[in-house]
Amino acid sequence: MGRRRSFDVDEVVEAAAELFAGRSYDGVSIDDLVKRLGVHRNSLYGVFGSKRGVYLAALRRHIDQEVRPHLARAAEPGVALTWDLLLLAAVDRAPDDAEVAELVSAVFAELDEAMGDPAATEVLLGRWLRRRPEAGRHGVPAEQDAPETAPGEGI
Amino acid sequence: MAVVSVQGEDLVVEMEGLDKLWALKSRLTIPLANVRGATVDPGILGEPKGIRAPGTHVPKVITAGTFHHEGEKVFWAVRDAQKAVVVELADETYTRLVVEVDDPRAVVAMVEKATNR
Repeated sequence: MGRRRSFDVDEVVEAAAELFAGRSYDGVSIDDLVKRLGVHRNSLYGVFGSKRGVYLAALRRHIDQEVRPHLARAAEPGVALTWDLLLLAAVDRAPDDAEVAELVSAVFAELDEAMGDPAATEVLLGRWLRRRPEAGRHGVPAEQDAPETAPGEGI
Repeated sequence: MAVVSVQGEDLVVEMEGLDKLWALKSRLTIPLANVRGATVDPGILGEPKGIRAPGTHVPKVITAGTFHHEGEKVFWAVRDAQKAVVVELADETYTRLVVEVDDPRAVVAMVEKATNR
């Protein structure tokens, strides 16, 4: 992809969210962003100010478009949550960045409200974390149809 | 090498030793309100830098001084790309500063803390 000087900001933020969802904040360099987003480095700085600026825009978009619309059905069985960036933000960035911590806490509070009980949020997040090692990227379980059969259990 | 510090409401960038000479500038003072952010960015050394005036540019050795590129004015003071920090500015003579510092991560953390109060 050629590097663009002018670009669709939302499109770029979406691509950045995908990149940050799969890697820790420190694991994403400006080189990675420039390459993946296909934009000029100067334009990236001009629009977002810093890597943190890109990250915050990506996290906000993720929360608005991929988390908030699904709060109500988060607990429904069979719903595979694609909230990797949110979870990663909670453990990777929230301890070091007050603004990230605020965004993440606010969404968890909204989730409490949608679930009707903070304990239900904890169960949901716990279950989600629990399944993470078996799930593929983006929360898609590797063996969606056979959750009861663990490897080695078969005859 | 540059020393970046927060002094009151300003971000102060001071050139050390001979870098003062190469960059033709010993000190830059930027109001924190005009600092948009800071980023560790070793890769920026590989980008086109534009026309230098005034300053010193020996490719692969030292990039120092004021560079004009695509309508932007950028201040450079870097020898070691691994230690380059990009400071993006608003409403200043320079669009951004690209300076080499001793501890890039610490400088970025300091700038972020100072600009997000």
